Amino acid sequence: MLSLRTIRARSWRSIPLARTIATSETSAPHSPPQRHGFLPGAPASAITTKLHFFNSVLEQSQIPTYRVLDGSGNIVEGAVEPEIDEAFARRLYHTMNLLPVLDTLLYNVQRQGKISFYMTTHGEEASVVGSAAALGSRDEVLGQYREMGVLLWRDYPLSSVMGQCFSNENDDSTKGRQMPVHFGSPEHHFHTISSPLATQIPQAAGVAYALKRDTERRGKDCAICYFGEGAASEGDFHAGLGMASVLGGPLIFFCRNNGFAISTPTTDQYAGDGIAARGPAYGMDTVRVDGNDVLAVLGAVREARRRAVTGGKAVLVEAMTYRVGHHSTSDDSYAYRARQEVEDWKKIDNPLHRMRRYLETKGWWDAAAEEALKDSQKKIVMEAFRAAENTPKPVLDNIFTDVWDEMPWILKEQKEELREILRKYGDVWEPYKTERVKFRGNGVLEP
Amino acid sequence: MPSLSAPQILRALASRNLASRSILLHSRRYTEAAIEPPPAGGHSPTIAHSPILRTTRDSALKTPGIVWGSDADHEDGDKTGRDTRKMNMYQAVRDAMSTALANDESAVVFGEDVAFGGVFRCSMGLSEEFGRERVFNTPLTEQGIVGFGIGLASMGHTAIAEIQFSDYIYPAFDQIVNEAAKFRYRSGGNFNVGGLTIRTPSMTVGHGGLYHSQSPEGFFMGAAGLKIVVPRSPIQAKGLLLSSIQDRNPVIFLEPKILYRSSVEQVPTSSYTIPLSKAEILTPGTDLTVLSYGTPLYTARTAMSYLAEPPASIEHLVPKPLRSAKIELIDLRTIMPWDVKTVVESVNKTGRLVVVHEAGKIGGVGSEIASTVTEKCFLKLQAPVKRVTGWDTPVALAYEKFYTPDAIRILDAMVETLTY
Repeated sequence: MLSLRTIRARSWRSIPLARTIATSETSAPHSPPQRHGFLPGAPASAITTKLHFFNSVLEQSQIPTYRVLDGSGNIVEGAVEPEIDEAFARRLYHTMNLLPVLDTLLYNVQRQGKISFYMTTHGEEASVVGSAAALGSRDEVLGQYREMGVLLWRDYPLSSVMGQCFSNENDDSTKGRQMPVHFGSPEHHFHTISSPLATQIPQAAGVAYALKRDTERRGKDCAICYFGEGAASEGDFHAGLGMASVLGGPLIFFCRNNGFAISTPTTDQYAGDGIAARGPAYGMDTVRVDGNDVLAVLGAVREARRRAVTGGKAVLVEAMTYRVGHHSTSDDSYAYRARQEVEDWKKIDNPLHRMRRYLETKGWWDAAAEEALKDSQKKIVMEAFRAAENTPKPVLDNIFTDVWDEMPWILKEQKEELREILRKYGDVWEPYKTERVKFRGNGVLEP
Repeated sequence: MPSLSAPQILRALASRNLASRSILLHSRRYTEAAIEPPPAGGHSPTIAHSPILRTTRDSALKTPGIVWGSDADHEDGDKTGRDTRKMNMYQAVRDAMSTALANDESAVVFGEDVAFGGVFRCSMGLSEEFGRERVFNTPLTEQGIVGFGIGLASMGHTAIAEIQFSDYIYPAFDQIVNEAAKFRYRSGGNFNVGGLTIRTPSMTVGHGGLYHSQSPEGFFMGAAGLKIVVPRSPIQAKGLLLSSIQDRNPVIFLEPKILYRSSVEQVPTSSYTIPLSKAEILTPGTDLTVLSYGTPLYTARTAMSYLAEPPASIEHLVPKPLRSAKIELIDLRTIMPWDVKTVVESVNKTGRLVVVHEAGKIGGVGSEIASTVTEKCFLKLQAPVKRVTGWDTPVALAYEKFYTPDAIRILDAMVETLTY
């Protein structure tokens, strides 16, 4: 039996011989059978004489889904409730409920043409808010776009939510530069969303490595990277998991598997056992969780976070849920799925309903509390909306700033070119005239 | 033509396939035995003896535009006490990274095969000196490398990423163009990746074929938010790389790989920078401006000597009156944002411009410069702006001699422009 050290010390030329012994296909070895091969690519791989192809993480079955609450909000027999007190539970439910209130208003507002675009979180409230609640307040969040609930959990102001969606001067996320729902806030440790899918996944590996190298934060904070099951088909998913698993750093990969990437069902997205099956392939601790069960998500992500922070490594969580809403305001999902199927999901497996029933069972909630919450949330959301409608867009100069740290001659010249165009046409050409008055300072470029 | 030694060819070309692991093992043995591997790019006589190289200590310390770092020994700004050391370009790159790692605890160096010293030796000994946490190999994924670097830089760290050949930067194109370049703008200035520098060997090497020869700078020129830098020599490489690392914007630093060993200068050992977005006039002139960057600068210098004293075989093709023409040779150094002022001043003086680069003509750097110069110098131009570039073909192995802009093509362009 060769020790690993001996094996590594062998020159590369000895490998073809080793391969002959390992496969036993050509001639019978004179040495006694090896328990392990010694190819550098898989040093602990046992040698077998049985020809056996395999095709799943678990033989003959799929990876199980961790659940704590059943469909009616009762604790499943044998399940352990995560540690949760009344105040925390109520805050969870408040935040989960605020999401659809905002979603419904902003969805309708988009339908009226007041904002250009919107994406709801309908159906995924437990996945998003439950995971957010399991994090530390300084954990770095890299999202895809359907994770506004994380910001709401961290008390991101509604004026900023509205400001971003209305591209007004309260858009402290992007200065009016990005499409709605592309939030970002260093103060809330929420990295600015960008549209290209999965690009945040290898970036998260870098963020986690930075946390590992930072003596102030090492062992305290982690990063979490959200993405949908569709984004997991991008090359950056593989790149990111590969980088994170080899290089280390505290990181939770959180996949929202909601069954659809726009119109594409998961059957057209992958042929394996979801996203969770890929975690072990990268040597990653992995769990699949019921994404409509906020307690299961909370418990799973708390444990994932513990492993990530104490182990200084990446962990994968796949939350199984259902995208109840359309993909975005540019999408009519009834073109590719039955309305009834969606209605059924809302009734049978509603994350908000399950949480509400749990709270009622505990004696922490009742109909009066529900009504009071709905009223108060509607009121604050409407107030924020009305304020946003009357807030001007930022100064027009923002079109040219922040491209580089300092404005090079190229942009200085182009800014002058725009100034000259506006001087000549800005007051007489109707499309310019009506647009520029929406900006702070009537769309006059500063010198 | 320079030639690669057998181990270098293996290392450079085979590193793209699964054999890279065996190369890693071989190379570790090199490192342990402290054997200096044979030359990479060979020695082009044109480059080795070029007058644009600063081969004495005195001339090195007088490098125009050099900005000395704040090392304690030289607070008085006295240049005369500084040391220089003979270095080729890969050693100067290594020296710059060593300086960056020593001065900035957050700085890390990473990429494919960088831990053992890199396939071009640019990170030799750095992992031993600074530890594997700071100088490390990554899995073989360019999009992963750049994405990872963006993540590190967004946390305020200094990320020095290597892409093994610029020919393999395209898998990271999305991360560079959609992410790194737009990071500051799209976040309203809340986040930036100013600490990111992507180093990558580029340009032809004599026998690199399609995928070890490319000059991709033109593809990145329109990605507002990036800086693109190309050094011509060891002194320039160290100073410009340190500027790039310190610059608060993501920088693509393209190192002409044929110069790694063939360009040798006395390089100041202390910390210094050379400013970005600043071209350098290598030889002043009044009759024609020749603008280039990287390897072709040496070729252009040779072409200038042919113009003054044509070899007998081509003497009849170079009209006598042109031989006293004063050519202004400019090294652009930073491709984006480029130094329009120096270039326009020069062309307004000479009235003629030839731009030389190895990348193809269409959509190349020369197109951008030619159109801007035409806009800004229209009344002063006495001839059309001429572009001497690689052809709009891939770089084909056996045909490289006829692909790369050589001294004769540059000479011909100078003659055509001067006699227009």
